[in-house]
Amino acid sequence: MDAEDQRATFAGTSSTSPASGSGHDRRTNPAAYVPERRLADRRNGRNLPASVLTPPTPPPPPHLDDYASIVGRAQIDALRFLAHELRGKSMRMVNSTALGGGVAEMLNRLVPLLSELEVPAHWDVITGGNDFFEVTKAFHNALHGSAYELTQAAKDIFLMYTEQNRQRMHFDEEMVVIHDPQPVGLVLSRGKTPASWVWRCHIDLSNPDRKVWDFLRPFVERYDAAIFSSQSFARQLSIPQYLFYPCIDPLSEKNRELSDAEIQQVCDDFGIDRSRPIVTQVSRFDRLKDPVGVVKAYKLAKKYVDCQLVLAGGGASDDPEGAAVLQEVRDEAGEDPDIIILDLPPWCALQVNALQRASTIIVQKSLKEGFGLTVTEALWKGKPTIAGAVGGIPNQIIHKLTGVLVHSVEGCAFQIRYLLTHPEFARTIGANGREHVKENFLMTTNVKRWLLLFRLLEQAKARLPKAA
Amino acid sequence: MASAPKAPARKPDAPFYFNTSEHLLRIGRYKANNLSELLQAMQACPEDCIFQHTFRTLQEHHFIRQGFSNDFAHWSLSSCNEPELAERLAGVDVRDFTAVEGIRHRMIEIIRDFVTAHPDSGSRPAHEPFYFCASDIVLLPTPYAPDTVRGFLDGLQHVSVHSIHHHFIEARLRLKRMSNDFSVWLEEDVGLNEAANDIERIDIYTNTMEGVRLKIGRIISQAMS
Repeated sequence: MDAEDQRATFAGTSSTSPASGSGHDRRTNPAAYVPERRLADRRNGRNLPASVLTPPTPPPPPHLDDYASIVGRAQIDALRFLAHELRGKSMRMVNSTALGGGVAEMLNRLVPLLSELEVPAHWDVITGGNDFFEVTKAFHNALHGSAYELTQAAKDIFLMYTEQNRQRMHFDEEMVVIHDPQPVGLVLSRGKTPASWVWRCHIDLSNPDRKVWDFLRPFVERYDAAIFSSQSFARQLSIPQYLFYPCIDPLSEKNRELSDAEIQQVCDDFGIDRSRPIVTQVSRFDRLKDPVGVVKAYKLAKKYVDCQLVLAGGGASDDPEGAAVLQEVRDEAGEDPDIIILDLPPWCALQVNALQRASTIIVQKSLKEGFGLTVTEALWKGKPTIAGAVGGIPNQIIHKLTGVLVHSVEGCAFQIRYLLTHPEFARTIGANGREHVKENFLMTTNVKRWLLLFRLLEQAKARLPKAA
Repeated sequence: MASAPKAPARKPDAPFYFNTSEHLLRIGRYKANNLSELLQAMQACPEDCIFQHTFRTLQEHHFIRQGFSNDFAHWSLSSCNEPELAERLAGVDVRDFTAVEGIRHRMIEIIRDFVTAHPDSGSRPAHEPFYFCASDIVLLPTPYAPDTVRGFLDGLQHVSVHSIHHHFIEARLRLKRMSNDFSVWLEEDVGLNEAANDIERIDIYTNTMEGVRLKIGRIISQAMS
């Protein structure tokens, strides 16, 4: 799950972010949003309702017991048992942004839950100038495989800000968790403390730029463990590597249960006819999400089955490439009144939730993907889901058991036809998909993984011979 | 035909302690890009990898009853497009084994036979690699330690499916016998021998773990009535 992918899920904004957020991410900052540019998709005749043009006030974070009705009391008991031995110990999480993006969204939920379990988690954000974030953005892209010429100047900038942050931060906790490559160098402080150090990598490292990886790898190998979001994203390392799937919060605005009236209201706002089948893809207007391919698949399927296509995304107003992709989608859609294209602001979590719940089928026809959180969201809503067999998606979709995987426009079109005409099979994979999420991809499972790792690292520390 | 009278249940000699196990997935060092590499890796990988992809994966996919058996079978079908091999691997019942080495040898035998009979299949690249994983496991107590059969049924209703998996499926590796913790307790401490046998015969591959829970409860309730 990289930062770009996370934005596609319309991360809610936070009021509980730590101090000193960098605020450098304009795309998820509501203050930087220009609503006029999203007022209408006139070519498709859809105006966005006024209710979505300003961000709503975020609800207070839920408590642990609020999850019991969803995951079962036994799961909550297990969390309490796990936390019991860790009582009094604490952890520190460090990432690069307090606002926007899936990592911040996840930490906003995780930190209060851990504290409720009496395993306090402190959350810090590194600081840096534009030059630092330009370098780390370039590193991010290079680690994803983009071409990049690593210079000594870039290394110096990275090391200088790492040192500044090290001087500013203190690590008094028993476990320190560093998220992603930007703050990876903080591990140089590990000699001063007895803490276990963990690197949580949210990005796909399967095909990194060699020079950037060679520069970062010595930092990574100073940690006690690394965590990846998929087996396929990991590297061969000298330290243990764990698998933590990215998770969703079933009580967030994007995933909570909705009343039929709430769903109907959103469909009415967007002119969607719930009496006819609805096929939906929720994602940024980005070529790697293949929205044009989805329109083509819909057209092929529509020769045999009646349906509407909803493409709900963002990223077109403030990203030139997004605007170009949106135009390509509109061109491919032509004048078809059953294709509904919605360029939504990033805070439209409730609307996305309602669109997903109103859908008959959900598609995520990505050509490249980290860990598709929109797939998890769709599965959680019990929807039969068709997704590209790329990145971390095969962890979420077990072909023909929890959804269907496709490799082409034609395959996607066939599966749309098949699922619309075989509702019993569609229901079965939808129900399996929801259970798959309940078992593996919910916030409570994420809390459990952190507690398990903390316990295991504490046990490992206890086995080490004491220094004389 | 009249059935034989049932042996009465006695007050249990010892409580049944419901425990549960939680696991953390560790990414292993082995990876296979085709069936021949899978065979090599299965011979070399640590035992906990085999455990993960056979026993433990059943817990992770406990809600599926339409044909999920183990990760090797699933990969043979979804990434190698070898339905015959997949069927044979899926036919390996983890409950036929009381040691992980036994299941490893059986899986290796099946794959070796298949690759020998279909040499082209061995080197054909899989659509996705197989990544070997393992689990670090933490055993946890639950609040349930009943000393009556009625209390057992109550505990059974409330524990997680992970606890059911722990006692019903993984137990044979601990016990080193073809049984499970529930059946052993019912037979040795309660005297419900017939119910213990019936529980051992529940098919885990055509039931979800919730289904297993229901069946165990039903069998014991019938034995008590």
